[in-house]
Amino acid sequence: MKILEAQNLHKTYELGKVTVRALAGVNFSVSAGEFVAIMGPSGSGKSTLLHLLGGLDQPSGGVVILSGQQLSGLSDKQVTLMRRRNIGFVFQFFNLLPTLTAEENILLPVIIDGQDPRKYEGFLVRLLDLIGLTDRRHHRPDQLSGGEQQRVALARALINQPAILLADEPTGNLDSKTSKAMMELLRRSCTELGQTIVMVTHDPRAAAYADRVVFIKDGQINQEIQFSSEDDLPKRYRQIVEIMEHLELSE
Amino acid sequence: MRLIRLLLLRSFRLRPARVLLSMFGITLGVAGMLSISVTNQSALDAVQRLLVNTSGSARLSIIPAVSGGESLPEQMVSAVSRVAGVQQAVPVLKVTTSLASQSAPEQVGLSFFGANAGGMIIHGVDAAAELRAREYRVTSGRFLSSSPEANEIVLVENFAEDNDLKVGQRIGILTPYGVERVLLVGLIAKEGAGLTNNGAFGVAPLRTVQRMFDRAGEVDQIDVLVEESYTSTAQLNLLARNVQQRLGTRASVVSPASQGRRTTEMLNNYQIGLNFLSGVALFVGAYLIYNAFAMTVVERTREFGMLRTVGMTKAQITAQMLLEALVLGLAGSFLGLALGILLSRGLSQLMSGLLNIDLVRMPIPVSAVLTSLVLGIGVTLLGAMLPARQAGNVSPIEALRIRGKSREGWLLVNGWKPGVVLLASSVAILLWNPFAYDPMFRLGSLTVFLLFLGVTLILPAGITPWERMMQPVVKLLYGSSGTLGSRNIERSRLRSTITVGALLVGVAMILVVRGMTESFVSDLRLWMEAYLGGDIYVNSAVPLRSTVGSQLRAIPGVAMAAPVRYLPVQWKTASSDVQETTLMAVDPVSYTQVTGFVFSEGQTNPAEAVQRLAQGDAVFLSSVLSEKYGLKPGDTIYMRTRSGWHPFSIAAVVVDFYNNGQMITGSWADMRRYFRVNDANTFLVRVQPGEDAAEVEKRIDRQLGKRYRLILELNDSLRKRAFSLLDQAFIMFDVLAVISIVVASLGVVNTLTMSVIERRREIGMLRAIGLTRNQVARMVLAEAGIMGLLGGVFGIVLGILLTRLFLFGMAAMSGYKLAFVMAPEGLIFSLVIALVVSQLAALLPALQAARTPILEAIQFE
Ligand SMILES: Nc1ncnc2c1ncn2[C@@H]1O[C@H](COP(=O)(O)OP(=O)(O)OP(=O)(O)O)[C@@H](O)[C@H]1O
Ligand SMILES: [Mg+2]
Repeated sequence: MKILEAQNLHKTYELGKVTVRALAGVNFSVSAGEFVAIMGPSGSGKSTLLHLLGGLDQPSGGVVILSGQQLSGLSDKQVTLMRRRNIGFVFQFFNLLPTLTAEENILLPVIIDGQDPRKYEGFLVRLLDLIGLTDRRHHRPDQLSGGEQQRVALARALINQPAILLADEPTGNLDSKTSKAMMELLRRSCTELGQTIVMVTHDPRAAAYADRVVFIKDGQINQEIQFSSEDDLPKRYRQIVEIMEHLELSE
Repeated sequence: MRLIRLLLLRSFRLRPARVLLSMFGITLGVAGMLSISVTNQSALDAVQRLLVNTSGSARLSIIPAVSGGESLPEQMVSAVSRVAGVQQAVPVLKVTTSLASQSAPEQVGLSFFGANAGGMIIHGVDAAAELRAREYRVTSGRFLSSSPEANEIVLVENFAEDNDLKVGQRIGILTPYGVERVLLVGLIAKEGAGLTNNGAFGVAPLRTVQRMFDRAGEVDQIDVLVEESYTSTAQLNLLARNVQQRLGTRASVVSPASQGRRTTEMLNNYQIGLNFLSGVALFVGAYLIYNAFAMTVVERTREFGMLRTVGMTKAQITAQMLLEALVLGLAGSFLGLALGILLSRGLSQLMSGLLNIDLVRMPIPVSAVLTSLVLGIGVTLLGAMLPARQAGNVSPIEALRIRGKSREGWLLVNGWKPGVVLLASSVAILLWNPFAYDPMFRLGSLTVFLLFLGVTLILPAGITPWERMMQPVVKLLYGSSGTLGSRNIERSRLRSTITVGALLVGVAMILVVRGMTESFVSDLRLWMEAYLGGDIYVNSAVPLRSTVGSQLRAIPGVAMAAPVRYLPVQWKTASSDVQETTLMAVDPVSYTQVTGFVFSEGQTNPAEAVQRLAQGDAVFLSSVLSEKYGLKPGDTIYMRTRSGWHPFSIAAVVVDFYNNGQMITGSWADMRRYFRVNDANTFLVRVQPGEDAAEVEKRIDRQLGKRYRLILELNDSLRKRAFSLLDQAFIMFDVLAVISIVVASLGVVNTLTMSVIERRREIGMLRAIGLTRNQVARMVLAEAGIMGLLGGVFGIVLGILLTRLFLFGMAAMSGYKLAFVMAPEGLIFSLVIALVVSQLAALLPALQAARTPILEAIQFE
């Protein structure tokens, strides 16, 4: 079942006289429970795509359909509510509220929605256990390491079990060890919680955790790899690097 | 220089809104300061000029020792002129009358100085001597001839114009014996002596006036022109003593300068209040400056760190910030000067209404301009001092941090300690009140400012628990996103504290003004109801013989007519010096039937007191005098009567605001016996039950109006006008308190704008994970709301404290002992004001926050 679909997405930026074509006709879909990585050289339009998928920006052409609902054409408020209930975000910079504790940060989408956070206690405990911060739940962001903060951000994105989790370079600010932990978490979210994930990354090691890797170049989808469940991480990694080199050579 | 230009101008250009806002705080403060000082100056000047003009170049004046009906014999003039050192003695006979053609005014004149019947004043003078003593500028015709008996008069130009009188005309003057006709020979400008009685004034030869008013051989005042060699005060005092010796006890030698003292004193009291409040506005402005600069430091921490890395010294950075402050202070103050000059125009109009004199537009006094400038710039520099030092202390390492993090400064952690000390000591000082004799209340104001500072220092310690406490309220008002906003005030406690501090001072000021006004007005109203008691107020430009009383009583519908007479008197206690004050003589029996006395609290039996007054040799003392000289009922005071110092026993203490509260009330019989005065200034008339006061007023007017040139007014309307005059006088205070709040609200705008800019990324993130624009706006409003609540509640506490302290101080300083009155609506009102102001101030920042573009915000950095 397709949970997210992009049809012929275009995005152009007008910078004075110069027109930047960030996306030039992207067709892309994600099935429920799938974990997709998006890769590509810098400036290829990965973030732009992710923002359009998440309703953070409006496309210049084409449509995005999330859970059967077309995002473009909705009012700002409707899109916002869509994001609040159906989309989870994880950004490169951890973006936690410094005034709130880890637990409160995780519950933020629930609080924003005006729901009673106590109803989520059970799931919160499970998430805290998943990210391994059960004993740090009352700590504030400045008392947590970068990796821990990013895990809190992940838990926040998962708390209301969104239809899709969008992550832009979630490991971009982490060292290789914490990156690995983070990726394992994302993998487990997908496997154990059945969370659908679309992740933008530069890092082939991170992309190897996905079920499918989509390569973007010059605002268009260039290639795709679909892994089978038998492929182990090193094998996937080699496959990805191969394509990356190929893409760079054709530059 | 290039560096300065680069850094300074750029920082101004980058933050124009904040620069303007903080500058505006100073501007408002300076404008308030200047306009008030200018207006006061011209009011004082007008009052003083009035006195100077009437006394001219005379340096001594001789007046009857006992006032009221008493005059000086004309022979005294030559006796005085024979004293060595006296150049010339200038006699004046003063009469109050009215033109025959002039109809009585519709209304009783009301001003700060009390009720006034209008009419005109004529001085009987010796033309030659008069011209040496006072200034007259003849605008048409000529001045009086040297003939002492010429049947002629000179009038002030405007007055003649208003009454359609032309030079060469014979005009009718009302005298006790009918209308006398004199020739109008000339007009003088309304300046110099022409300002007497606001221009309703004329001069005529001495003999002529004596004849017309049947006062042959009498003068009322002799002005003394002193030889030019007498320059020092000591010489003048010696001369005064010589003259006094020559004249004996019938006359008093006074210095004309001392005569206006009470008037100026009263104006001064009013000004102290206004000055203090404009000082508060400036004080709040200092908070604003501090806040703006503290923010700048946080914001530019990286910049400063970088500058330090490349070799700028601490001192250079501090100097750089202070320079910014100087530029800001200069610009703000100059703008304030301009605004102040504009404001003073309006204020002067208000003041001239209150005083019932024309205020001449004066050149703006240089000293006032300088003071305002120095204060404006000084306050700005003071406000910027601490942040400037902090900027200098930024270490180069801080440049490497990703974002400037506001450190918990020593002040935030430990500030409550000096805060408590400041608070306690300033309250103690205010209670102890050593400034009773500081006429400008300068030290007192300073102490109050220290009190504000103390409270502000204590705030940070309380902010977190307060925020926790208010969470449910915030949630209720602003929804779930509101709690996110209210949490923010903890994040930058310094900023929030200062903003709350400014709001708090504003709210406290509103409350103090309301509290003082209410306490004052409630007493004042009570007294005024009595002072303007009865149903009809009967007044006249000419003295009313007591027979008018019985004529009034004979008019159908009149139940009672009570005469009132004001008489300047000299009095003393057994131990004190001789004082001048006003005696109000009433007939206790008729007076209590028409109106009543307002006895001071804890008074014994009122009926007994009135009876004691009626028995004679007794007085009521005003509460101010009683307080000032420590006199109680049963004590004795002495008044200078026709037969010398006479003891009067104090029968009661009454509330009285007339003549700055310095009043003695006596019985009519005593006045007749001891001062030989038997005419009234005013009659208070009560109509019979069921009668229509307006009808009775018409009847009185028909029967007696013309004959006695009565000015009649229903007391209802008079009271209404009096109260509105009162409100006008007090509204100035309100305006200034509101200015403080406005300045404080600029602080809120500043703080929130800052908070929104700083949290751009966070807001972007919150929007991304599903906060609607509406919720973002509410989040910002909540942040403002909690500051408003905090400022409101603490402002109320402080306001009540201060009002009580002020009332206490006022009792000690001026003798006005007022009951503390504070309507609960006032409290709610100030809380609402604080909230509303905070919300209004937050609107723009909230809108700005709601408009944060998500993508730009999260990609930022
Ligand atoms: N707001 C904008 N205005 C103008 N051009 C933009 C804007 N945002 C992105 N672009 C341009 O669109 C193109 C795609 O940008 P995008 O951020 O999607 O790239 P990316 O693949 O995420 O790159 P990176 O790997 O460096 O993050 C780039 O050429 C970029 O310069
Ligand atoms: Mg990107």
